[in-house]
Formats: sequence, C-alpha cells, structure tokens
Amino acid sequence: MKATFVKSISKILFLSSLFLSCSSDLDFDQTKDLKLQPVFVANLAYFNVPATQLVNDGSLAVYPDVTEFDAFKEKFFRDNLVKTELDFEIDNTIIRAFRIDLLLLDANDEVLETDSYNVPAFSGTSNIIKFPTEVFEGPRLDLLKRTTKLGFLVTMAPGPPLDQNSVGNLKFKSGATVYMVIE
Amino acid sequence: MRKLYLILIVAFQLFGFAQNKEVLYNFTSIPQSSLVNPGADVSYKFYFGIPVLSGVSANLGSSSFSAYDLFANNGVDFNDKVRNIINNSSSKDKTHVNQQLELFSGGFRVGGRDSQSYISFGAYQEFDFLMYVPKDLAILALDGNRDHIGRAFNLADLNVRAEVLSVFHVGFHKKLSEKLVLGGRAKLYSSGANATSIKNSGFIYTGQNAVTPNVYEQIIASNLELKTSGIATFTKDEYEGSIPKDIAHNTFFNGSLGFGIDAGLTYYFKDNLQFTASIVDLGFINHTKDLETRSYKGTYNYQGANPSFDPINEPGDIFDDFENAIPRETSYNKYTTWRPTKFYSSIQYSFGESRSNDDCNCKGKVTTSYANAVGGQLFIMSMPVEPFVALTAFYKRNIFENLDVKATYTFDPYSNKNIGLGISGTLGKLNMYLLVDNVLEYKDVSKANSIAFQFGFNFVFQNSED
Repeated sequence: MKATFVKSISKILFLSSLFLSCSSDLDFDQTKDLKLQPVFVANLAYFNVPATQLVNDGSLAVYPDVTEFDAFKEKFFRDNLVKTELDFEIDNTIIRAFRIDLLLLDANDEVLETDSYNVPAFSGTSNIIKFPTEVFEGPRLDLLKRTTKLGFLVTMAPGPPLDQNSVGNLKFKSGATVYMVIE
Repeated sequence: MRKLYLILIVAFQLFGFAQNKEVLYNFTSIPQSSLVNPGADVSYKFYFGIPVLSGVSANLGSSSFSAYDLFANNGVDFNDKVRNIINNSSSKDKTHVNQQLELFSGGFRVGGRDSQSYISFGAYQEFDFLMYVPKDLAILALDGNRDHIGRAFNLADLNVRAEVLSVFHVGFHKKLSEKLVLGGRAKLYSSGANATSIKNSGFIYTGQNAVTPNVYEQIIASNLELKTSGIATFTKDEYEGSIPKDIAHNTFFNGSLGFGIDAGLTYYFKDNLQFTASIVDLGFINHTKDLETRSYKGTYNYQGANPSFDPINEPGDIFDDFENAIPRETSYNKYTTWRPTKFYSSIQYSFGESRSNDDCNCKGKVTTSYANAVGGQLFIMSMPVEPFVALTAFYKRNIFENLDVKATYTFDPYSNKNIGLGISGTLGKLNMYLLVDNVLEYKDVSKANSIAFQFGFNFVFQNSED
C-alpha cells in the first residue's frame, strides 16, 4: 500500500513537471517606442462660381469671402501635426482672367499668409491649372496652425463684359495632405 | 518595474481558450465537473471545496498573435511588430480572457442512503474580456487614409466587452436510472462592472472622383455605442475611492442582477457507451446600476470650406457641422446583456475492466468499472461575431483507484495542436486536481496563442467510507 502511495506521488510530480514552463525574454518597455505616422488627406476648400454671378461691364472687380476654419482648434491635432501640403487646382471656363488669393487669418483677423494663384481667360481650350504643392513645415507650419479663418479674394482682371447670358465657371478645389507623428 | 513585468506576463498568461473547459468536462472524479455539466454522473455523500482554492481557473487566448509577437526582445522595431500583427489579423481575430475563482462550493446527497439525488451550491467570481482586432481602425491609425483612397474603413471592427461578476448557484442532479442522469442549476448573477460595445456599424470613406466639385469625397457614417454599468462613477473627476475595492464591493453586494440556468444530462446506451450534453449560462443580466451609455450616431459628408461669394447665404462653420451631424450623446438607460452561453456534448466509450482494491463487494451490487475511456467532445460558445466551436478527442485512464488522468487533443480557432492534460487524485478525503491546456506551448509560453489552467482542492466523502 505504501509503495502504491509513493508511486502515485512520484507520478503526480512527474506530471507536474510537464506544467513547468519557460518563456522567451520579453520587453514590455517597447510600448514606449510606439510611434504612429499616419498621413491623412482631406478637402480644404472648394467653390464653383458661374459667370452669371459675376455680371460686369468689363472693368476690374474684386469678390471677397471669409469662412471659419476650425481644424486647428483641436490641441491633439495641432500638437501631432508635423507637416502639411496644400494642393490647388483651378478650372476657368470664363472669358476673363482671375487671380485667387487665399488668406490665412488668425483669431484677430490678422493675415498670417497670403497665397496667390493666377489663371488666364478661357480661350476655347482646356484651362485647368494645377499649382505646385505648398509645403508647410517649421515656422510656416506654426503660422498655419494659428489659422482660424480662410479668406478668399477673387480678383477679376479687366476684359470683355459679362452678363446674364455669359457662360462658363470659375472652379476652385484644394486638398490638404497632413503628416502626423503620434508618440 | 520587474513587478510590473511579472503582472503583465501573468495577465497575458491568463488569456484563454474561450472558456472551453475540455479537460474538466465529464471528468467526474472532480466535483467541479458538474459546473460544466449539471447532469454529469458525479456522486458523493457530501463534499466541500476548500474556500477560495476549490476552483481557480484562467484562460488566455489570442487567435492571431502571441505575447512574443508583440513584446519579443529581438531588436525588431516595435512599430513593425504592431504593423505585422495588424496585417496578419482579420477583424474576426480576437483576444479573450476569462478568469474564475470559486469562493466556496459544496454538495450533498439528499434522500436516504440509497438515494441518488444530489444538491450542489456555491459562489464564484468571474472576469471576462473579449475584444476583436479592430483591424480597419488600426490601419487608419497606422497609415492614415492617403494610401487607401476608395476604401471604406469599417467601424463595426470596434467590438469589445468586459465584465466582472459574481455568480451564486444552486444545482440539483439525480440519477433517474442506471441509464440516465439529469441535472439543472439556477444561477444568480451580480455584475459589478460591465462595458459593452458590440453592435457598432458605420464607415469612414475617402474617395476621389474627377467629376465631383471637390478633391475628395469624404463620408463618415457612424453608429457607435458604448454601454457601461458600474463604471461611470470612476470616470468622474470628483471620484476619490479605490477602483478595485469598489468594483469588488459592487460585484458582491451592489451589482446589477441577472438570472441564468444550466442544464445537462448523461445517458448510457450501454454500460460502456455514454453520451452527455449540457448547456451552461443560458441567462441574462439586467444592468440597472451606475449606468452610462455614450454614442456617436450620424452621417457627415466633409466638404471643406466653401466660400459662396454671396454675403446673404453664408455657409456655417465646417466643424460645427460635424458636431451637429454626429453628436456625442450620453444617456442613462437600463440595458440587458446576454451571458456567453456554452454548449457541450460528448460521447465516450469505455474498455478494460479495472482492478479494484476492494477485498470484497459487500453491497452485493455488481457494477463494472472501466480503466480506460476514449471519446470525443464538442464545444460551442456564443460570441458577438460568430460562435466559437471546438472539437476535442480525449483519453481518460484510471491509474489507481484514486488517481485519474485525462488527455485531450483539441482543434479550435486558436490552435490545431492543443493538447490538454488533467490529473485528479484523492489522498484520504482530499481531492486535488490540476488541468492544463495547450501543454506544448509551455516550452515557451510567450509564443502561445492560448493557455489555460485550472486547479482546486476539495474534501469529498463517499458512501463506502461511512
């Protein structure tokens, strides 16, 4: 009986040894190295103004507009944004030349930056211009981050008059590519 | 710091195999086997578990990655590891932790000396956590949307539930004849803390189409909801208590209550051919305490700024629009959660008559006992995305009168080479058991996709010993 007992104990011990385990060296400190670097694209602004909204006797005309722009209100976004690229495209099918000024305004309506884009008058052929990418890094990015409003100034150069029957549109579209680093 | 590592390692080891207790199931020399089949053919005059030590179990499971994949100290950049795991996971992959601790348990035979009716009871504490890999959202966080134009990131990938509860139960089983054992158990659940976010839907889409007036087409359709009970208090600024202490108190004394049942049977086609089936935790919890539900519901089409050059019809602020389109709402409604219901079934063939140490059979009844048993088991458990199904083959052997071993081989979503081992021995009246799952993984637990173990101590008093 005693032998049986010893035997069963040794069997238990033998089986228990199977349950002893090992583990590879793990390093949980690595979580500190986590660094997300997502790149997002988003619309920045667009408009589509028909010639009929720009009725004009042929002289120079200026059309202003200001819109609220709250993208940088979020601290998380501001703090982790490292670079921004803005792309602009203008498609003009109106028989007048234009200059579009984009103004970055801060909360006090101070102009932080002005970017100008010129497009010639429509002459019957495709009149789409893609402008070189505006890259915001360093001090220029810091100015961008203070932006709370976007100002648009459309200046129509002198040319043939426009009336209710004039055709064509001035189309503007712009997209932003934002580079974030989240650590 | 070392202590923290240890806690983390243990926490990871605690993840488990979807609560499939395939080694315990129908291991009838362990009284706790009636917790996975209240109709198990368990018999005793009476038993009681050693408080807090009668049933300790923990399971860790992660279907698409192991602790090693994420934390290996091998010089590979952590971000690359995260990216690899996300790339190799699908939104059906999940991480699951289940831990149970039996606080007390006991059982006794009712009726006369020859009665075969038993009542058992007990209480245990349970922690359950289930999260699916939020693959689409992880990719969005890692890459952003620039390289995924035309893709809709699925918000339904956000799928998580967590609960701490205590369970008080009373069961009854009766051997109606030599062929049939029937049993049932009633359970009172008390949930101390619950967080449920399992019915999300929606998407984040960025497309590009030359004919649209804008550069991108950007739509966020969101139907996100997180329901919590027993947690809202802790998120308030003025809260100054101890969270673990308060959760423990709520779990036992001030929880949201629920009710559930277990039912099961054992049927002998022949002396050595046995069939069993059981259903466990068919029940619900009605969450009524300290409720808070947060939701983000709505659709937003992001256009960017749109000057009209028309001073009369000025468009509004673009971000105000977002908050109006997908408002963050908080409500305090009661809600009901269903317990993860488990279904087990087995078929067992026994062979090889065992030698008995008894000198004589004084009762004059002739019962054959077998030394070996082989068979198969099926396990199904309800889960939010799709049910968890596991198939097990097992071999059970009675080595000595008081020592039983069981070996299992299980196919499940976490592993197709899951070998489990269990032993149950009795010294005098002390029953001890140790059940371990996925033994092959113990040579390096950090690489295991799932690990589970259970052990406990009981005092069992049998008829023949009076």
